[in-house]
Amino acid sequence: MISRQQRQQEQREWFMQVLDQDDLLIKDNTHWLRQYRKDARQAVNSLPLLNRKQEAWRYDHIEKLFENNFVQPDESTGGFTNVELYDNLLPPLTSYRLVFINGYYAVSLSNLEELHDGITVCSIGDAIHLMPEKLAYSFIYGHKLHKDKFSALNDAMFNDGVFINIDQGVHLDHPVEIVYLNTNHATSEDDRENLIQTRNIIFLHEGSSVQVIENFVSDQSENNKYFHSNVTEIYLDEGSKLEHYRFQDESRQAYHLSMLYVTQKKNSHYHSASLALGGAWARTEYKVNFEEEQSECDLYGLYAVGDEQLIDFHLDVQHRQPLCRSREQFKGILYGKGTAVFDGRILVDKHAQKSDAVLTNDNLLLVNDAEVNTKPQLEIYADDVKCSHGTTVGRLDKEHLFYLRSRGIAESEARKMLCQGFAEDIMMNIRNEELRLYMVDSLTRTLNAHNVSSGDNYGH
Amino acid sequence: MLNIKNLKVKVDNKQILNGLDLDVNAGEVHAIMGPNGSGKSTLSHVLAGRDGYEVTDGQVLLDDQNLLELLPEERAHLGVFLAMQYPVELPGVNNMMFLRESINAVHRARGEEELDTVEFLKLVRKKAALLQLDEKLLKRNVNAGFSGGEKKRNEILQMAMLEPRLAILDETDSGLDIDALRIIAQGVNTLRRPDRAIILVTHYPRLLEYIEPDLVHVLVNGRIARTGDKRLALELEKKGYGWIAEENAA
Repeated sequence: MISRQQRQQEQREWFMQVLDQDDLLIKDNTHWLRQYRKDARQAVNSLPLLNRKQEAWRYDHIEKLFENNFVQPDESTGGFTNVELYDNLLPPLTSYRLVFINGYYAVSLSNLEELHDGITVCSIGDAIHLMPEKLAYSFIYGHKLHKDKFSALNDAMFNDGVFINIDQGVHLDHPVEIVYLNTNHATSEDDRENLIQTRNIIFLHEGSSVQVIENFVSDQSENNKYFHSNVTEIYLDEGSKLEHYRFQDESRQAYHLSMLYVTQKKNSHYHSASLALGGAWARTEYKVNFEEEQSECDLYGLYAVGDEQLIDFHLDVQHRQPLCRSREQFKGILYGKGTAVFDGRILVDKHAQKSDAVLTNDNLLLVNDAEVNTKPQLEIYADDVKCSHGTTVGRLDKEHLFYLRSRGIAESEARKMLCQGFAEDIMMNIRNEELRLYMVDSLTRTLNAHNVSSGDNYGH
Repeated sequence: MLNIKNLKVKVDNKQILNGLDLDVNAGEVHAIMGPNGSGKSTLSHVLAGRDGYEVTDGQVLLDDQNLLELLPEERAHLGVFLAMQYPVELPGVNNMMFLRESINAVHRARGEEELDTVEFLKLVRKKAALLQLDEKLLKRNVNAGFSGGEKKRNEILQMAMLEPRLAILDETDSGLDIDALRIIAQGVNTLRRPDRAIILVTHYPRLLEYIEPDLVHVLVNGRIARTGDKRLALELEKKGYGWIAEENAA
């Protein structure tokens, strides 16, 4: 039995060990970035250690992460060109594509041709070198992100990422697709545990719009173990609209942490849908801040959890101004001995009259020994609001199964159809037909591969 | 074609069917009537293979095959079709996709060719028109937001698509207004075939004015208490079920 003190010591050493690997790709050639990273390093050291007594980490078994010695992969990994490895991992999309191999920008696999005026899409590394002034907003005037240990670590250490800047009134014709392919095949030793930290900045100016797709994929080999920490900052200026889709199908050995910080101005709209299938441990945090009136956000998500997996969604939506609307709908399918965590917090400040918020979390248990921790939290300090929440944990309905079977559909197929049906009202919010079909297929493939159809533990 | 012998069924340890005998020949329409709680729905469900029924004795043969040892889907492959009294809504399952899965599953099991998209659409449109079912309903999720009448018509649409050997209509008339009843009855009448048997389970004789049965059986306390032709239904309309129960007890 390892004592709490030992755990804490292990964690302290883990962060120190990571900070020691500061041979970064992006050389800190601007003084503000140097300063930013320095502040962040200090924050990593001074912020409190994580433990399960903290509400945000209560169900996450975070100590498992700290048992691993993750190491930054070397730069050469970005030259990886084995297209076949990842080609079948990606949806067939028409897109502007940026590919990152183990966190390094892979120019030869990316496609940013024919971007028209008013649009900047490039790697953060390039942006820092070529247009540092455009990033300064985020790093200097923007939110200081280093408020918790992992985002501070990302601030201090990120390798690369994507910078998207859409000028006033510009609408992008195709989605920007960011592919994170994490693989051991690209590194010299194929049993090392990679540490991957990426950072994205998405800036939509007044009245602009774009669709952004993030694909987190990896080869599923046994020893593909790594930690990917990804921070995305999103600024939506007045009247702008971002559609943001996220697909996570990483190695069953992987640790995945995504932190999204969304800042919304008047009349802006953030529409997001996530599908989380992979990882040993995969956590996504959305922090949405309505800074001005009449903005809107929709957060949709679906997770499928199998044996030995933990998938966690943390939402923190802050209604700080009047007349804003938010929808949070997350659904989970638990098909193995795994754990799902859903923590959805909506804060309605006392100034935020006429706020409209609906938060739901529904879970479908296909086995008996899965664990669901669901915690919706509405904190309301205004008196004229329309807010509601609901959570459910249930099983496949026997009557539904019988209905399908009585029409000649075999039980295994019937179970699959009902699971897909359960997922449907999340999937329908993916407003990109090719991507939606791909995500539906991926879910089905995952459920098939893990023999969901053969279970017999449906409801009574 | 369908031979039921001495069927005894318990639900929650309570005896519901009590030695029921019934033979239905191909081409015939039989009505099974009876008061509430007489075992009508139990019979329908046992034939279709629904869970929760304990068969303690007896035999059910369809074309000399023992139905009771088959899974619900296997019975459907043999041609058993149950039009449900309370068709469930299937969240997120598209009606069109469901119909296609269903018909192709049955075709596959019978070693027949699957329908391609064009053939399927042609067939489903034809059958939907027969039942005056709005095509919009085909695009929705199964039974989601359907009215009572639409749900029942959707059941008969499935029957028309699957072309069953034995169709059991469990209180298909319940909750229908007269126009809906007429449309459904018309649909069922066009589905009468020399090689098909139909069992109408109903509480009310009204349905039998529209679908004329060859035989009428009255179920009391889990057994067939009386069998007659369609005049029996008229008699029941006038006198109710009480007299049969009394006669039976005597």
